[in-house]
Amino acid sequence: MAIGAVGGVGPEEATGRLAHAGDSRPPGPEIVPMSYWRTVRWRLARDRTTLLAAGVLVLIVLSAVLAPWLAPYDPTAGSIRLRLAPVGAPGHVLGTDEQGRDMLSRLLWGGRMTLVAGLTPVVVALVVGAALGVLAGYVGGLTGTLVMRTMDIFYAFPAVLLAIAISGALGPGLPNTLISLSIVFIPRVVRVAESATVQVKGLEYIAAARASGSGVGPIVRHHLLANVLGPILVFASTQVSLSMILAAGLSFLGLGVTPPAAEWGLMLNTLRQSIYVNAIVPALPGLAIFVTSMAFNLLSDGLRDAMEIRA
Amino acid sequence: MLQRTYAWVRAVDDVSFDVHPGETLGIVGESGCGKSTLARLVLRLIEPDAGTLTFAGEDVRAARPPRMKRLRRDMQLVFQDPYASLNPRLTIEDAVAFSLLVHGRPRAEARERARALLGRVGLDPRLYGRRYAHELSGGQRQRVNIARALVLDPKLLVLDEPVSALDKSVQAQVLNLLLELKRERALTYVFISHDLNVIEYVSSRVLVMYLGEVVEMGTAEALAQSPRHPYTQALFASAPTMDPDRRMDRPPITGDPPNPIDPPSGCRFRTRCAFAMPHCADAPPPLRAVGPDHAVACYLYEATPAPTTAAGR
Repeated sequence: MAIGAVGGVGPEEATGRLAHAGDSRPPGPEIVPMSYWRTVRWRLARDRTTLLAAGVLVLIVLSAVLAPWLAPYDPTAGSIRLRLAPVGAPGHVLGTDEQGRDMLSRLLWGGRMTLVAGLTPVVVALVVGAALGVLAGYVGGLTGTLVMRTMDIFYAFPAVLLAIAISGALGPGLPNTLISLSIVFIPRVVRVAESATVQVKGLEYIAAARASGSGVGPIVRHHLLANVLGPILVFASTQVSLSMILAAGLSFLGLGVTPPAAEWGLMLNTLRQSIYVNAIVPALPGLAIFVTSMAFNLLSDGLRDAMEIRA
Repeated sequence: MLQRTYAWVRAVDDVSFDVHPGETLGIVGESGCGKSTLARLVLRLIEPDAGTLTFAGEDVRAARPPRMKRLRRDMQLVFQDPYASLNPRLTIEDAVAFSLLVHGRPRAEARERARALLGRVGLDPRLYGRRYAHELSGGQRQRVNIARALVLDPKLLVLDEPVSALDKSVQAQVLNLLLELKRERALTYVFISHDLNVIEYVSSRVLVMYLGEVVEMGTAEALAQSPRHPYTQALFASAPTMDPDRRMDRPPITGDPPNPIDPPSGCRFRTRCAFAMPHCADAPPPLRAVGPDHAVACYLYEATPAPTTAAGR
């Protein structure tokens, strides 16, 4: 166990190390080693960075979900007299923006938009992309070629450019942002899913399953998906932060969420003119984007490490 | 122009043989000569471009899917690579039980039979049944592979280099297990290996392949005592031996096999053959009987007796 060297006991030692002691010992109680997912959980529970990232994410998600109850003010109601109040101003813990709207309320409400814009496209891309990728990889031939070459057309554009182009064509608004970002991420997931599928498909346990007389359905379900979904999931989780940043970027450019709704990217855009008046308040939405995307990245790193199969 | 075909390799070309019930047919040849392709062809895991495949009087290639599924129960394969041949996400008892579930056995019965069979191949199911492949050694994994192949009670077992990835001491254990199981279950083996010592140990008849073609075929004794084809002689001469008098100073053949995409005309071995004659390039030599149950594809045996010196050096 690689993890044993880092510190602590590996699951082997914790449960079933004795099983190697020899085949000749008298039959004792049945030894049940940890199942795969229990091992993954066991490893995650010992990874401080990942736990911290997960904790931060839980807080951010909770604050976004509970924004209507947590926010002290209406996020769209401003006050001419209270524009650009500094952090710590009486009544406004995080100050106010250029229209005198409470920053804390706007950050809480903005988190909802940003998280939805970050997660939805990735989830859509995960489902559609995994299906297309596994199909292309397993069936191969003309079907595979058609799927993959179509994806390559989308893949040829840089992500930002493609997102801007599609959003520009569809017009501003959150639903259109979600559609354009989903289109950006599907080809990436398809690529990963296809290459993982092709690799697993060539392994001998798939041939063994075919030799047992199994149809395509059980092979895909029990042998293929179980071994390709892990890498696809890990890849998708790395894309969440990118999706969030792209969504914020689209809003920043005026192609995403429309004012006066609160969204971190949009807030960054409207506050940027005030940066010489008050440097701290305009930095807050940027900080929120940074912390959230960092937490997603650290979580996906930890997930990848925990899901690795180690001999 | 979305797809390209680079080149076709005739990995297995014009190979015909029978396997008799209860025997062990050894197939030997160097790496890349088409042994594994042959194994997959026999089990119809890849479709041949031409040829026939008959199992117990039935045309396997003509079998429709439901019939094919039944036929698959009678012929199973043990793979070479003990690492790639087990699904890392299944416990070994689930890996063995999967075939039974495919054939509609109830889950409890499938698991029970899988566990019983794991016990038979030397893995106590109470210690190992719920383990994953990566927690086992190479030899243990190969035992799981054997259990998986046997769980459907097949009649024919194709063993594709079942021991070549294992340590010598483990090889012997696994070979002996295979011989015991064969006796116990009246199995028929097609045993593929590049290791002549292993082939001699297990086989009753041996088929020697070179670059996708059969060059010699005969009983194990006939081949060991009087190998006829220059390639077979070279193979026997290059097998490591404990007998100092049989050790050789020079390798009997050198170089690599020719490119199988563009094999030599006529006899495919002629480019590395010490006895090559001009007309070897004209047409491939047919298999010709040189004794009871002993055939060779070489022009040296058209009329004249054999040069028997090469192997005895």
